[in-house]
Amino acid sequence: MKPLLLAAALLMLVAAGKPWRWDLPAGVDAPPVPADNPMSAAKVELGRRLFYDADLSADGTMACAACHEQKRGFADGNATRPGVHGDPGRRNVPGLANVGWLSPLTAADPSLTRLEDQALVPLLGTQPVEMGMTGRETELPRRLGADACYRTMFARAFPAEKGRIDTRTVTAALAAFQRTLIARDNPYDRFRRAEASIPAAAQQGLRLFDRHCAACHGGQDMTDLRYHGFEPAEARDPGLIEKTGRAADAGLFRTASLRNVAVTGPWWHDGSARSMTDAIRRHRLPISEDAMPPIAALLEQFTDVIFLTDPRFAMPDHACGKRL
Amino acid sequence: MPFSAPFQRLAPAAIAALLCTAPAAAQMDHAPAQCVAPADLPAPMASWRNPVALKAAADGKGAARAMLTPGRTVSLALLPTPKVAYPVRPAKPGGSVSHGGLASFTVKEAGTWRVALGSGAWVDVISDGQAATSTAHGHGPDCSGIRKMVDYDLKPGRYTLQIAANGEDSLTLLVTRLP
Repeated sequence: MKPLLLAAALLMLVAAGKPWRWDLPAGVDAPPVPADNPMSAAKVELGRRLFYDADLSADGTMACAACHEQKRGFADGNATRPGVHGDPGRRNVPGLANVGWLSPLTAADPSLTRLEDQALVPLLGTQPVEMGMTGRETELPRRLGADACYRTMFARAFPAEKGRIDTRTVTAALAAFQRTLIARDNPYDRFRRAEASIPAAAQQGLRLFDRHCAACHGGQDMTDLRYHGFEPAEARDPGLIEKTGRAADAGLFRTASLRNVAVTGPWWHDGSARSMTDAIRRHRLPISEDAMPPIAALLEQFTDVIFLTDPRFAMPDHACGKRL
Repeated sequence: MPFSAPFQRLAPAAIAALLCTAPAAAQMDHAPAQCVAPADLPAPMASWRNPVALKAAADGKGAARAMLTPGRTVSLALLPTPKVAYPVRPAKPGGSVSHGGLASFTVKEAGTWRVALGSGAWVDVISDGQAATSTAHGHGPDCSGIRKMVDYDLKPGRYTLQIAANGEDSLTLLVTRLP
């Protein structure tokens, strides 16, 4: 028996130690990874399973993936989403493409710069309640620990923590998986790398985009990661001021990434823009109606079909060699 | 966006809020409204407030015995999710503490069929081992208690209904053909 146990322990160590290999285009650096949550294949595999597991919500009805749907760039098709107890959602669900680079991470909280911390917002947040696990933190080890495969996966992913299952290890694994949600291969990327062309209308749209939009929606993820305002602040969601207390921050929200923007609608911080052109108009820029079709044609080029269908990001159908 | 005659009696703004055509799996969820009085219900939903009891089945074989009558609302007693063997894995499976189950219904006349739910549970209509593609989704009239509606274009035949990721152990549910 002892040799078997030793072999199993050795296998576990080998699995845990399997280094993570980034799959990145040439010239693209890996996203920053916190020193206290290094990447590993085992951690990413665990984070992926957890991302799709509704046991992370109070009554087992809502996984991260309930709102973050891969085919929508890990955004949602609704303006906002009610939480697990029916509390109205407040903000439109953001897409997750390249989220490992998008710090600060959320629409109006500059303190959220690490995915490990951000994951606590849907899990434990109360304004509004989303997954509703506040006060139920002990449920995570109880529910997940009841599954032998999860115990194995946590042991592999967190050998230093002896496979402990708790809020910290759950959010660390979720963060590791989210850092792998990399989209760098849409038609616009290939056009920028001089590997392919884009339609003439989209090229016309690009010229307009560079003139009117790129100051904020610039860079590799089409966001400056800064806060801007276009409409008066609303009491329901006053924006950045809520965290900073500065009057000048009323109505400000972080520039959204335009990766996969054509499939992440509805748009705007509260999902109140029913079309991309509606969202463009609400920027109050000197853009004529004639310019809308070419700009929309460009925005379509930001859709990364490979990312939307990549099986590495989909709901896993196996774990520990068994069908889920 | 096509609507049946009973829905046309609703105020235009209310109709617009009810359903939208969208890809199949985009099952809309909707926060319940603050209500002072129950809403009037359109004719296809008339039985909503008088459900009859029905026990959901744990597997596809048992679903044949959990028969839904079109137009008749049921209060469906569900099972703990780990006890349910779904013929097709739901796109959004519930966690171990959620509830689900299976039932079946017969379509005698082709057309648009609606599944109305009192919760935001995940629903699939299965035929020949495949989940049917929904044609529209939305929520019921505010203050009706109908939280979610999913429409399907169905041909005559026997269908299995999968319910997944329900928080409670019972669910008010109606399958009805739209006129």
